[in-house]
Amino acid sequence: MSDTGSLLEVRDLVIRFSLRGRMLTAIRGASLSLAEGETLAIVGESGSGKSVLTKSFIGMLDQNGRIDSGSILFDGQDLAAFRGEEDWLPLRGKKIAMVFQDPMTSLNPLLTVGRQIREVIELHRGLSGRKAELATVEMLDKVGIVDPERRADQYPHEFSGGMRQRAVIAIAIACRPRILICDEPTTALDVTIQAQILGLIKALQRDFAFTTIYITHDLGVVANVADKVAVMYAGKIVETGTTEDIFYDARHPYTWALLSSLPQLGVKGSPLYSISGTPPSLFKEIKGDAFAPRNPHALKIDFEREPPMFTVSPTHRAATWLLDPRAPRVDPPEAIRAMREKYLGATI
Amino acid sequence: MKIPDMAASAAVADAGIDRALFEFADYDAGAGERGGYSNYSYWRSTFRMFLANKVALFFLALLGSLLLFTIVQPFLPGQLSPTKIFNDPETGMQYRNLPPGDRFWLGTNSIGQDLWSRIWSGTRTSLLIGLSVGLAEMLIGIVFGAIWGYVRRLDRVMTEIYNVMDNVPSTVLLMLFAYIMKPGFRTMVIAMCAVGWLGLARFVRNQIIIIRDREYNLASRCLGTPARRIVTRNILPYLVSVIMLQTALSIPGTIGWEVFLTYIGLGLPVSIPSLGNLVNEGRMIMMAPELRYQLIFPTVVLSLITISFYVLGNAFSDASDPRNHV
Amino acid sequence: MFLYAIKRLLQSLFTLFIVVSLVFLLMRLLPIEGYFGDRFQKMSVGEVQASLGKMGLLDPWYLQLARFYAGVARGDLGVSFVYRRDVPIVKIIAPRIPYSMGFGLTAVAIAMATGLAMGVGMARSKGKFADRAGTVYIVFVNAVPLAVYLLFVQLYGSSFFHLPILFDKYDPKSWILPAISMSLNGIAFYAMWMRRYMVDELNKDYIKLARAKGLSNRTVMVRHVMRNAYVPMAQYLPAAILATIGGSIYIESLYSIPGMGGLLVDVIQRQDNAMVQALVLIFSSVGIVGLFLGDLLMALVDPRIKLVKSEGAR
Repeated sequence: MSDTGSLLEVRDLVIRFSLRGRMLTAIRGASLSLAEGETLAIVGESGSGKSVLTKSFIGMLDQNGRIDSGSILFDGQDLAAFRGEEDWLPLRGKKIAMVFQDPMTSLNPLLTVGRQIREVIELHRGLSGRKAELATVEMLDKVGIVDPERRADQYPHEFSGGMRQRAVIAIAIACRPRILICDEPTTALDVTIQAQILGLIKALQRDFAFTTIYITHDLGVVANVADKVAVMYAGKIVETGTTEDIFYDARHPYTWALLSSLPQLGVKGSPLYSISGTPPSLFKEIKGDAFAPRNPHALKIDFEREPPMFTVSPTHRAATWLLDPRAPRVDPPEAIRAMREKYLGATI
Repeated sequence: MKIPDMAASAAVADAGIDRALFEFADYDAGAGERGGYSNYSYWRSTFRMFLANKVALFFLALLGSLLLFTIVQPFLPGQLSPTKIFNDPETGMQYRNLPPGDRFWLGTNSIGQDLWSRIWSGTRTSLLIGLSVGLAEMLIGIVFGAIWGYVRRLDRVMTEIYNVMDNVPSTVLLMLFAYIMKPGFRTMVIAMCAVGWLGLARFVRNQIIIIRDREYNLASRCLGTPARRIVTRNILPYLVSVIMLQTALSIPGTIGWEVFLTYIGLGLPVSIPSLGNLVNEGRMIMMAPELRYQLIFPTVVLSLITISFYVLGNAFSDASDPRNHV
Repeated sequence: MFLYAIKRLLQSLFTLFIVVSLVFLLMRLLPIEGYFGDRFQKMSVGEVQASLGKMGLLDPWYLQLARFYAGVARGDLGVSFVYRRDVPIVKIIAPRIPYSMGFGLTAVAIAMATGLAMGVGMARSKGKFADRAGTVYIVFVNAVPLAVYLLFVQLYGSSFFHLPILFDKYDPKSWILPAISMSLNGIAFYAMWMRRYMVDELNKDYIKLARAKGLSNRTVMVRHVMRNAYVPMAQYLPAAILATIGGSIYIESLYSIPGMGGLLVDVIQRQDNAMVQALVLIFSSVGIVGLFLGDLLMALVDPRIKLVKSEGAR
């Protein structure tokens, strides 16, 4: 535990990639904190930097990527200061584990599933031989795979998509990590399977007592599983809060836009809302608020200076100039108010 | 739950900011689009990548100079005829096997011909063969490959034909053609084309099949994009990379085959100098160290040409692959 | 597995049949002199026709084809007319095969061992000196014609290392240069293939997952990447081995090795049509058989190729 009492703490992280001579700033100063036992969801569009951020927690940035500044405090160490592979090996799979997006390609097609799970058990739990095999079968059983003994000797192509994801989850939690990072774990699955997998992870979280970070662009998933939400845009975290804070009391215009994009909030017959424009190119320096060009509620200062994080409540913070006392009062869009009324039965 | 300690409230944020900045800015819907705009042009990106490749530029310069020189050489002053046999006026004997010197810049061969002019003449011949074959293969390969890939019904049949043709080793087939048709310039070109067009046709066919059904092409068709535009904008750029590579690589291959056929005796007649002829002539006397130059000079020129084509072909193929563009 | 094998076998036989028949028919275009050799000059037109008739070469094509297949079934490929008068072709060819295969297999072994190791080394030091040096070698071997650089191997092999340039089966040192020459191209091929393969594999998702498990780079390399590399290679192995039957045409000729490849050069130079025909047929068939065996081997090695009805329930 760090001195602030949180399990994982990211401070002002800046990550850059060099791409054929040009520098891309994927993460432009992100900060967040994670307490033990929580479920955090990091939300954002593609390209907002969600995956890059979490990859940096296990040192799996691409070869051309580097942490330029900032810190990642975990378990008494600053992960951002790690220099070589050897630093990361005791961490990966053992203290922090990851589940990737596409179960179809996450498993080695030429090794049996059991072998792949056993690999991590042998590595981190020091078991071998029969004991390791038993532990493997036990893990498969815990993730809900029927007839685990037979399944352990099968190859990934003999598993369905949902089963493969379960196997990947088994690999991830086999060594009881403290943090499980799930990068869009259900995006590639059917809706019915999605619910099962999410339910599985929730149950496992209770039994195995780990902390979960979800990366997703699906607000439905967020509503389902998350305690805390962090909204990312263009390499920065623009708003954090509890799930209720974000859904019912969002303050950042980008979060408003995201929520408005949910089709369920649309009224039949009216056009569906979508955010106009595209995220900015991260090759260039961004002046002011990155979301300003697409923000209908933008203030002039949004184009000049980057907004700092303003506190809305002890659990809720947002980086928007609209929260500055000098800013004009802006009501959240119709869609947000409609959602509030619908779910909270309250009017503003 | 503890919150990271950042600039947390307005009081800390500069009080000195001009209040006027807290007014609404004019919302320009177009500005949002421009944020992500990138000024990408396929060809410009391709050339930029290619030109940034120093090794490629070196070989381009090298090859360019070689080609230029080959063409210009006969018109330079002091050049001798490649086929004329030179005799010593005093003895009446042929100037055999003279080492490089003043009069014969690269020496003479075993019957008294000037090696320097023979090499350049031979390069011209071999390049002519190489380019003819390369171009012919490209045309035949593209046409066949395109039909093969586009017209679904023909696919089965043509794949069978391909399998059949592919199974006979090309060396053997080449030898066979040369044997049947009697050695000569035309025979060589025809035989090499007949053997070589397969590779490119297969590539083109594969690419077309892959790309034809890619979602972005289907989407284009749904939007009503005319076929011509789909072909030129979506399909051709992928093909260019493959076609250029194959064609560039076919030239070293052709020259190699020419050397091989000449070795067997199915190549060009001795009266037409070619790199193949020269190399083989050199081979026959290579064991004598003082005569080795007759092998080394043609080989050096040949190697420079083939390596240049190979490197350039690969470099251009890499540069024109859209996946390599930033 | 069984059904798949049968299906592939039939396909191969079909292709084989087409190839062989086409080649056979192509042979009818061969210059007539090739059936007579020196005697041709002295024969009158009538005599030539009569002789051709006796040899069955004037009969309709389907008859000739049928007779040919009948002969093949008996193991008879005909008789040589020029190269060795009236000697059954099979007798001429048979003793040559061991030489070709011997050299060929050695070359394949050297090429694979060296090439694969080189490819791995290149992939690991990607962009650095070893990679660049390897690339120079590969470029050279691929760009400069075989016919050309082998001359230099022969040249410097004999002048610096005093290795013999003519093959003599009783002199072990004369085995060296040809074997090395044959492997040079292969080394470049395997090195390039392995390097490309490894670079591609390293980007695959399951490799990323393997690393995320906390496995060291070396373990990931050996247990996941390299082990996976052998599967696609299995496809090409039988073909490579079978190709050695044909021998390397150029190298055998260069070093006077009494193998199949050298034989082809000889019979073309001597213009013996019957032998040319027989050899071309052998060369072609070998390729098809190789492909067939390669597919079978792939099916055995790659668990994804479903050949048996599996009971894997969803």
